[in-house]
Amino acid sequence: MDKAVTVTALTVAYGAATALSAIDLGIPKGKVTVLAGPNGCGKSTLLRAIRRLHQPKSGEIRLGDLPISGLKEKELARHIGLLAQNPSAPGDMTVEELVRLGRYPHQTMLQPWSAADGEAIQAAMFGTGVSHLNDRRLGSLSGGQLQRVWIAMVLAQETDIICLDEPVNHLDMAHQIDCLDLVRRLNREHGRTVVLVLHDLNLAARYADRLVFLKGGSVVAEGEPVELMSEVLIEDVFGISCRVITDPVHERPLCIPIRNSTPRFRAETAA
Amino acid sequence: MPLASSTTSIPAHWRIGHRALFAGLGLLLFVLMYLSLALGYRLYSPAEIWAALTAFDGSETHVVIRDLRLPRAVMAPMVGAALGIAGVIVQTLSRNRIASPDTLGLNAGAAFAVVLASGTLGISSLPGLSVAAASGALLTSFVVFGLAAAAGGMSPLRIVLVGVTFAGLFDSFVYVVLTANETMLDQLLFWLAGSFADRKLGLALNGLPFLLVGSVLAITLARPLDILQTDDSTARGLGVPLGVVRGIAFLAVALLSGAAVAMAGPVMFVGLVVPHAARALVGLGHRSQIVAAALVGALYATLADIVARFVIYPREAPVGAVTAIVGGLLLLVLLRRRAA
Repeated sequence: MDKAVTVTALTVAYGAATALSAIDLGIPKGKVTVLAGPNGCGKSTLLRAIRRLHQPKSGEIRLGDLPISGLKEKELARHIGLLAQNPSAPGDMTVEELVRLGRYPHQTMLQPWSAADGEAIQAAMFGTGVSHLNDRRLGSLSGGQLQRVWIAMVLAQETDIICLDEPVNHLDMAHQIDCLDLVRRLNREHGRTVVLVLHDLNLAARYADRLVFLKGGSVVAEGEPVELMSEVLIEDVFGISCRVITDPVHERPLCIPIRNSTPRFRAETAA
Repeated sequence: MPLASSTTSIPAHWRIGHRALFAGLGLLLFVLMYLSLALGYRLYSPAEIWAALTAFDGSETHVVIRDLRLPRAVMAPMVGAALGIAGVIVQTLSRNRIASPDTLGLNAGAAFAVVLASGTLGISSLPGLSVAAASGALLTSFVVFGLAAAAGGMSPLRIVLVGVTFAGLFDSFVYVVLTANETMLDQLLFWLAGSFADRKLGLALNGLPFLLVGSVLAITLARPLDILQTDDSTARGLGVPLGVVRGIAFLAVALLSGAAVAMAGPVMFVGLVVPHAARALVGLGHRSQIVAAALVGALYATLADIVARFVIYPREAPVGAVTAIVGGLLLLVLLRRRAA
């Protein structure tokens, strides 16, 4: 399997607290990889470390053969795009102004704007279905439209790898599906490698080519959703007893949670 | 989608509309600078002004035009432009549309330095005070930057909090000293309100390099500043080195505000109001926004300086009072229309 990103013995700490310990992981090229796990498991930290927003305490991350620690800021930004968790921009910024920001890593002082920039912006807005919104102000958009515009900005960056940190957090069910369908289409049609952080296990199972479970700062298991989603493993990772069935529509595993099985929680509810 | 393609292929700052707008504003500025030479306690004709500038004969008229009116006709646009650009940078840096160089404590730091220089070193000449003011603004900016950056993050909120804290501290020092020393209050009150009157042309020449370097830094930072309008993670994801950009942006603000306060004292509200006008005219792209803010700021300060000569005619009001009244009212309108 061809790797877009290889993580080797990665340890990340916030001060004294270790967030990730000795992670080894390969992100397959051209696939959708979903990082999943309970709150505080380190999934967002891992995604941000891959984009070098966290300095590792030890270990290494390679893009193909290149260690990311040796890349310049703009160089890295031409390889990996990031849709941050809860991104923000002024409400009076227009859609096109925001999408245009995605071209920054491709521009230099001497060459501030090129025809390629215009084409990339148009393609990104067309691909995400927001071309007709180009003059609208961000503050006037619905949550679903806004998230599409942010994805358009990341798309305009024209990176091989796109990282999305909980992109459907504040969206309703219809827009969650809409947004993740769009992300998968970008992967299937444009061959982008996608790394997603999702905390909804069923969405993770539905959209992942490869699923990675994290718990307490370590990778517990990884594989295809069908082989990974066992009741025992889910109980171990998420602390919940459940039944796993096959989604009759998409033929992906579907987890039906039954009850919280962590001892502390059980004790509290009993009392 | 022909409509979309026609606008997406050309960046906003290349649109012909902006160039025409800038040319128009430049022309207007030229007219105002001429009016600044012509209007005041006495009115002068174009012939008299031309003669005073090209064939100086030492007459009272020529002395007034060349030595009193000319410096302020030159200095007011410089100060206005400097504060306009500084305001744009501060508002983007702090992601706060009601921030200004005042918010960072730069004017308060300058005032404190002036009071200190006057009180302890006995400096009373305008050039001496202006050096003190510039040093005060620069030192304050380094302290505020240092403290805001100390925790590593230098979050916009932290910048504002540290700045406002220092502004409050310096202001109270100034009031304590001035209350205790009434002679100094008399001497410094006019300076503390901000004015372009009775300055020598040399002062403008001293400020010019700071203004130029500050403006060039600002224009150089235009693209990264565009991106600093988003959150930190997004900005870093796009390849902007936050610490470096914020450091240079701070330096630009320090140079511009330092030059302005050295020339005119603390002129309030220009740095706060002008960026709003600039954004209304050209949108959020910083390249256009900075040019527009420089022109609008220059116009605003020059107009305020002319108005200041007439509001309590035949005496003259401090220009800082005029910019604060006009700016305050304008801001109220903006706040009413939508959240500034």
